[in-house]
Amino acid sequence: MRGVNRFFSRWQNWVGIFLLLMYAILALTAPVLSPQDPKKPGPFLVKGQGKERLPQPPSMTNLLGTLPGQVDVFHTIVWGSSNALTFSFTVVFFTSLFGVTYGAVAGYMGGWVNNVLMRIADAFLAFPVIAGVVFFQQLLIMTITTQGGYLWNGMLLGLEDSAGEPILLQILFNLINPLMLSLILFSWMPYSRMINAVVITLKNTEFIQAARALGATPSSVIFHHLIPNSISPAIVLAARDIGNVVLFQATLTFIHIGGNSPWGELLFMGRNWVIGPYGNLFKYWWVFVPATLAVLLFGIAWNIIGDGLSDAISPHEI
Amino acid sequence: MPPFLQFLVRRFLVIPLTLLVITMLLYGGVMLTPVEARAQIYMPNTNAKLTEDQIAKLMGNIIERYHLHEPYLVQYSYWVGTFFDGTWGYSPSLNEQVLPALLTRTPATAELTLFSLLFIIIPFGLYAGIIAGWHRGYRDSIFQSVAFFVTSIPPFILALAFLVIFYINLGWFAPERLGIQYSYEVTKDTFASPTGMLLVDSLINGRYDIFIDTLRHLAMPALTLSLYHWATLARITRSAIITQRRKEYIISAQARGIPAGRVLWRHVFRNILVPSLTSVGLSAASLITGVYVVEIIYNLNGVSEIITTAMFSGIPDAPAILGFAVYSVLVVLILMFLLDVIQAVVDPRIHEDMIKP
Repeated sequence: MRGVNRFFSRWQNWVGIFLLLMYAILALTAPVLSPQDPKKPGPFLVKGQGKERLPQPPSMTNLLGTLPGQVDVFHTIVWGSSNALTFSFTVVFFTSLFGVTYGAVAGYMGGWVNNVLMRIADAFLAFPVIAGVVFFQQLLIMTITTQGGYLWNGMLLGLEDSAGEPILLQILFNLINPLMLSLILFSWMPYSRMINAVVITLKNTEFIQAARALGATPSSVIFHHLIPNSISPAIVLAARDIGNVVLFQATLTFIHIGGNSPWGELLFMGRNWVIGPYGNLFKYWWVFVPATLAVLLFGIAWNIIGDGLSDAISPHEI
Repeated sequence: MPPFLQFLVRRFLVIPLTLLVITMLLYGGVMLTPVEARAQIYMPNTNAKLTEDQIAKLMGNIIERYHLHEPYLVQYSYWVGTFFDGTWGYSPSLNEQVLPALLTRTPATAELTLFSLLFIIIPFGLYAGIIAGWHRGYRDSIFQSVAFFVTSIPPFILALAFLVIFYINLGWFAPERLGIQYSYEVTKDTFASPTGMLLVDSLINGRYDIFIDTLRHLAMPALTLSLYHWATLARITRSAIITQRRKEYIISAQARGIPAGRVLWRHVFRNILVPSLTSVGLSAASLITGVYVVEIIYNLNGVSEIITTAMFSGIPDAPAILGFAVYSVLVVLILMFLLDVIQAVVDPRIHEDMIKP
């Protein structure tokens, strides 16, 4: 309870909460704020005929201006926040769930089992996420080329008219994109290491022994006693991870190695109007500033929340 | 065997074991794809129109010839075999063997990584963390806000901002590896390139103009890559310093009248070096990911060129991607090992701490 009071008494945390509420409202009211084109649903909306090549400045019809090809910036920002929230929550939910369970179970087993399991986690630490992303993307390409489809810049093309039987990987990749899969597979280790260290020390304390003496099953000890008592650092890590996941998604989208962040794609489409030969940041500010702010503030908001939580949970460490 | 050597051997044995686990998992993933997709990689690249029958027959031959119908472990051992004959398989999108393709692109990546790590991340990270944690006060607040801001910016936005400021408006730095007037010169025979890293080579050749130009081109990528890891390392150093400040040996050193600066650099510095360097080792994988991202953004033609070629060609190219993944893991493991060695050198306690975990 003292931690909760401490969390709400810092003004920085209110900035974070305010920013998060803003993103949540944008995401929830997206269909009202900027309805999608029923013919071409998706986070990108082409205004007018799409013939005008120059980016158009903000006006009443397009609130934040348009990119070349008349892609509406406001529409993408709004739908991008919904994408960012769902993507990051999914990734962090599965990562932390798996990481926490893995670390706790390994710690509870103890002995050589714990050693082997944690060595496997260490092996995963050596795997760069980007290698995982391209690897899964490659599996996807290999699977769909035999079905008559092909992948271009991370987009699935030409699969509709294939008649082949869908196979395991194809079903998997329809549910979950390669970036998400790779982020889940290669970022659970910090949770495990964190929980594992605490569980090993907690395991021999009196209240756990009491629970065991009362006949609690191992799973009940792990999920009712060990995890609730060691989860707090993992929550801090999860809060920071949500921001980092979105930053990483936007980065990979920008360099077109997997990922489908609308914000990153927006900056990719507009980059030549900032750094290209005729680009001018001050003249065409709306191709750069809104998307940048969207990504930046998302990261900042979650970092503030992470710092605030970490301060609330263990005030002495700061 | 002395404990120090024993420690090094144990750490070194981690490399092949980790590689074994990871390659088995990777190849298991490839085995999930249909056999025709894996045969596609070996299909000859001809313009001749083949009938369905001919393609099927060709496919059958390829599957037979490259043992694609065999069980997992047999195929895995064939693939591992290519690691020992020095080819790492043939990549259709690069149109060459994978290992030579990786090796010719390594120097650019190594230059960026080592330069950032040794000249920016480690020295400045340690320094900023020590100053912030030791003096606290206004220096600490400034550091905290800078570190906070830096860790919230994704690298590509930083890169765009750098390009706008330093390249377009000020003209100080430039993207790519080398200016156009030198890029031909360094490929000539008169320019000896034993390492392939332009910073080293230009010094060996005594061409200081090329050295300056390389630095000019390396500045933006190195900064983009370093800032995040600089902040992480500095934060960990800072909290290590704060923990150390409460220890009794500091009070006793101060009581003996040793000046504060001497206490900091002689006593505390050695104690915080180990946790700080461990943090660099643990984030080695994300450092390597960052290197590839930065390379692609600034068009540096390093190892990441392999993935961009393989992905944008749209041709299924498992050997290149598998090779790239194994190479990246190997680089991370070597980096972790080197940092372990540095740790063992700077901290003699490592024998007791690390040999018996």
